[in-house]
Amino acid sequence: MNYQWNWGIFLSPAASGDSTYLGWMLSGLQTTVLLSLSAWLIALALGSLMGVLRTVPNKWLSGLASAYVEIFRNIPLLVQLFIWYFVLPELLPASLGDAFKQKLDPVTQQFVSAMVCLGFFTSARVCEQVRSGINSLPRGQKNAGLALGFTLPQTYRHVLLPMAFRLVVPPLTSEFLNIFKNSAVCSTIGLLELAAQGRQLVDYTAQPYESFIAVTLLYVLINVVVMTLMRHLENKTRVPGYLGGK
Amino acid sequence: MYDFDWSSIPGALPFLWEGMKISLEITVSAVIFGVVWGTLLAMMRLAPVKPLAWFAAGYVNLFRSIPLVMVLLWFFLIVPQLLRSFFNLDPNTDVRLTSAMIGFALFESAYYSEIIRAGIQSVPKGQVAAASALGMTYAQAMRLVVLPQAFRNMVPLLLTQAIVLFQDTSLVYMSALADFFGAAYKVGDRDGRLVELLLFAGAVYFFICFAASQLVRRYQKKLNAHVAH
Amino acid sequence: MISIDNVSKHYGSFQVLTDCTTQVKKGEVIVVCGPSGSGKSTLIKCVNGLEPFQSGSIIVDGISVGDPKTKLSKLRSRVGMVFQHFELFPHMSITDNLSIAQEKVLGRNRDEARAKGLKLLERVGLKAHAEKFPGQLSGGQQQRVAIARALCMDPICMLFDEPTSALDPEMINEVLDVMVELAQEGMTMMCVTHEMGFARKVANRVIFMDKGQIVEDDSKDAFFGAPRSERARQFLAKILQH
Ligand SMILES: Nc1ncnc2c1ncn2[C@@H]1O[C@H](COP(=O)(O)OP(=O)(O)OP(=O)(O)O)[C@@H](O)[C@H]1O
Ligand SMILES: [Mg+2]
Repeated sequence: MNYQWNWGIFLSPAASGDSTYLGWMLSGLQTTVLLSLSAWLIALALGSLMGVLRTVPNKWLSGLASAYVEIFRNIPLLVQLFIWYFVLPELLPASLGDAFKQKLDPVTQQFVSAMVCLGFFTSARVCEQVRSGINSLPRGQKNAGLALGFTLPQTYRHVLLPMAFRLVVPPLTSEFLNIFKNSAVCSTIGLLELAAQGRQLVDYTAQPYESFIAVTLLYVLINVVVMTLMRHLENKTRVPGYLGGK
Repeated sequence: MYDFDWSSIPGALPFLWEGMKISLEITVSAVIFGVVWGTLLAMMRLAPVKPLAWFAAGYVNLFRSIPLVMVLLWFFLIVPQLLRSFFNLDPNTDVRLTSAMIGFALFESAYYSEIIRAGIQSVPKGQVAAASALGMTYAQAMRLVVLPQAFRNMVPLLLTQAIVLFQDTSLVYMSALADFFGAAYKVGDRDGRLVELLLFAGAVYFFICFAASQLVRRYQKKLNAHVAH
Repeated sequence: MISIDNVSKHYGSFQVLTDCTTQVKKGEVIVVCGPSGSGKSTLIKCVNGLEPFQSGSIIVDGISVGDPKTKLSKLRSRVGMVFQHFELFPHMSITDNLSIAQEKVLGRNRDEARAKGLKLLERVGLKAHAEKFPGQLSGGQQQRVAIARALCMDPICMLFDEPTSALDPEMINEVLDVMVELAQEGMTMMCVTHEMGFARKVANRVIFMDKGQIVEDDSKDAFFGAPRSERARQFLAKILQH
């Protein structure tokens, strides 16, 4: 094989628009980060809510939450994404669906679908972590909160959740990393995130190796940054005298 | 309101079934290869030989930090070229399925190796010491004493990972390979019934994965009851 | 103060409590003992509504615990409870453990709550540890903090569920001393415990439970002198053997 390496390709002006190929990469990186962070907010909020519901004494509520988890865990992400993007706008009431398809520009449509999809997909996983965090607390903690006169919501708010969240920082770190990796799936609906920019660059420059190596390294970089941040958070939330704290 | 029309599905079932066979083929081959290679990686990582441990750690961490989509793009790019130059294949031979299988297998083995490593580490250290005291080598202690104990506890996790893998095989859609999802998409696109076909595909995946995960859960319960006694 | 009347409870077909009846008057100290699984914890948890029961009634300070209209959280804020495993909140400093419920449940302001917490911490002899976290204290110290936490709420009575059985022997006395003092000050107390020395010293009555039933409910002298039932005699013999 005689492949012509050309790392200078990133600095040459891109085929369209007024940026360089490096500019393409960076804009892809930006989309990936924005998409993942916004989806993560949805996942945390929904996942915590569902995780709490899974542990409440009410059978209907916990059943609802467990059905939610099963649905989002047992359908492939790609299929969920296509359903959010292609199917849902058709099933919405005509006025809403049309507004989505006609009023929003395609890039926003893709971004919104991808964000909601990743958010819901990840929330089911967050839910399971939060639930197991709550369940791993000693049973007496809930009773202790109630015995002091806290209502059930107050007991969750002041006693169970603060401790449960500290316990689930490490598993949530891996879900947080997953959301960045999973965001690459969103290239399939045409969203120009990092992986899609990489492919586009191959199509335009015929320098596949440089492009893929750069994209791969950027994902590794994201990984390292997130892990460092989360380790920081883990140290900060460590409870003295408990769980490897000092 | 949307007018559903499911009529294109019955006729397409044989085609969809062909797709499902491809999905299953990729899953099964990746599970088998992934467990074997993953076990080797896990043992290397725990082995006293530093370079081996470094290699395994590097491999696992690299694959675990990049998206599956990227791995597949790499494999659809490189593997066909390698296969062709190694085996002197006709440039028109379709090697997408082979590429996909290799890509999934190498990717999944990184995840399997982490599960297996945790399983091995959960076996008390005294067991290796006891085996060594009987004169076994490190490899013998692993194969005869540690791995059998570790695997029993790992089986549910390995199966759960296999369900995830089965879902992930839908990503070969990117290479235009007609796995189950690819086939469903093609039919929907052809008949202008994408909505129905996507919902149908989602439902099929759901029932398969839900049923499988319930079985795994039941197996796990049995295992726990067994250990408790 | 506490009136338990014909209370029965079952989990499915398993009967945990059968027709339990007893009274605790203001200022009385009652010790509840009995073999493991006899329903002591369940009974005491019924008193502040941590366990629901199917029939009978429990009245605490004129309020019916089983009545669905009763605001249980309000009632619980007035009944102190101490647990076998302390159940301090591990993510909060000792000070915060003592003040959180005062602030969030009783609506006291922060300074007031902290001052009260410190006062009670001093009382149990742990003022120096105010800024530590529960995980940094010994079991006996944690249990004393837990007692202080309950006292911060100015309870009308206190429930203890085996407060010393998770402690190393050398720490049992530091906790019992606090409880004895509390009893001598006139606190109404219902204690599940196997510390017969404690019972001898301060209990007014001893309740012996077996298989979910109250088998004996007698003054401590009558109980230690001559238990009426064979089961209680055996139990006492076993427990006093060591
Ligand atoms: N959630 C539950 N479901 C079913 N049975 C239960 C439950 N909680 C308690 N029990 C049963 O109720 C009985 C009484 O339990 P309880 O905890 O009140 O006993 P105890 O007298 O406090 O015993 P110990 O001295 O061991 O604390 C036990 O046989 C126990 O197995
Ligand atoms: Mg008990």
